[in-house]
Amino acid sequence: MNVFKKAAAVAAALALLAGYGAPTARAQTPDEIKSRGTINIGMLVDFPPFGILDLEGKPDGYDADVAKLLAEDMGVEANLVPVTGPNRIPYLLSNQVDILVASLGITEERAKQVDFSQPYAGIEIFVVGDTGVEVKNADDLAGKSVGVARASTQDTAITGMAPKSTNIQRFDDDATAVQALLSGQVPLIGASNTVIAQIDQAAPGRFDKKFQLRQQSQGIATRPGATEMMAYVNDFLTRKKESGELNALYEKWIGAPLPDFVLKTTK
Amino acid sequence: MAYQFNFAPVFANFGQLLAGAWITVLLSFGAMLLGTVVAVVCAVGKSAGPAPVRWLINAYIEIIRNTPFLIQIFFIFFALPAIGLRLSPNVAALVALTVNIGAYATEIIRAGIESIHKGQVEAGVALGLKRGQIFRYVIMKPALRTVYPALTSQFIYLMLTSSVVSVISATDLAAAGNNIQSKTFAAFEVYLVITGMYLLLSLAFSALFALVRRAAFDYPMSR
Repeated sequence: MNVFKKAAAVAAALALLAGYGAPTARAQTPDEIKSRGTINIGMLVDFPPFGILDLEGKPDGYDADVAKLLAEDMGVEANLVPVTGPNRIPYLLSNQVDILVASLGITEERAKQVDFSQPYAGIEIFVVGDTGVEVKNADDLAGKSVGVARASTQDTAITGMAPKSTNIQRFDDDATAVQALLSGQVPLIGASNTVIAQIDQAAPGRFDKKFQLRQQSQGIATRPGATEMMAYVNDFLTRKKESGELNALYEKWIGAPLPDFVLKTTK
Repeated sequence: MAYQFNFAPVFANFGQLLAGAWITVLLSFGAMLLGTVVAVVCAVGKSAGPAPVRWLINAYIEIIRNTPFLIQIFFIFFALPAIGLRLSPNVAALVALTVNIGAYATEIIRAGIESIHKGQVEAGVALGLKRGQIFRYVIMKPALRTVYPALTSQFIYLMLTSSVVSVISATDLAAAGNNIQSKTFAAFEVYLVITGMYLLLSLAFSALFALVRRAAFDYPMSR
């Protein structure tokens, strides 16, 4: 092989890398994806129960099931690409994936970089307690005991908003905080909708939600300007919410029904 | 090792650690005093009481000494409210520690009582001492003197065991450390500092026990 042939080969390789290295993921419209036959979907694999790896090391979880449902709806193969929290938006913007079903919380800052669908999942945290206890807002917590899991989101939220006279009892995890509520050691605890579903199962009718501390919706994300794709995703989510399939997946993985603010937000 | 120590978050929250250490001292000291009372009563009951009393005391000792402290404290905090007995976390911790040390100390003190020779008691009777005086000066004082080293090392162990009580949200030194650690993520620094604080507490209790020994038991043996 002479020098020129070698140089030509290197040049060709460079050209491939530079220009055509990842052309497959550049599809912007549903038609392009359908004609290609696969959709590249980025998802987290370290965020149980939304994104995990199964025993064979393949992506699994609520996000994986939603992604597969979307691919099935389009009639294409789902190619699930593991991404991480910090690199998921760069993966999308650099065309390495077509869309993200990556538990991406819908925030104003992120909406400047990517387009969000209607919510497909959500997490809410509440103060819950004995039905007999009168609490409507953070100020009503004055002089009362509230159990929380140490350093959880609800700990941070309640510590930030409760009056000084509130007695915040920090337990090692959610399970112990729930145990304290069930045994009557604390009249109130801070907990997420998934934990509240378990409490309702253990003691139906004994406790109710007092007020919401925080809520977070997660959306499917596309590159800005992929309006046809986004329209398809929104239509898909609306149909799957109506049919109950999305709720069934949420029940399967999270063990609670889709929160109302997710179910009722359609656009 | 390229770990960068950063003690600033620990010392910024040092007040919390001191407050936690004070609770640990109160819990340990309270459980030592109350536990000793429980133990003396149970040891006398086991040595001299009627059969049903001995069985009850035996059951108490066997149950407490053969089950984990963690389960005992969960039982007192989470299960007793079901029968209407609701204790605040720190009180529940004190009760659990007292019940626990009571069982261990009973066996230690009973060994001390049984080491008193029968002739010694008969000598007390012969000298015309009253029953209370015989119990106090002829039986208990020499008995406690004999088992004092075993008893105090059990007390130190009790103080170290009290670090478990944060599981029921009691606010002891370990709980303060966990709170600071979970907010600042300075695990190495926080646990290094509270390890040092527990060590200091142990040494302080040992020094106190030495003083008590000198004041109460430092009389010559008459053999």
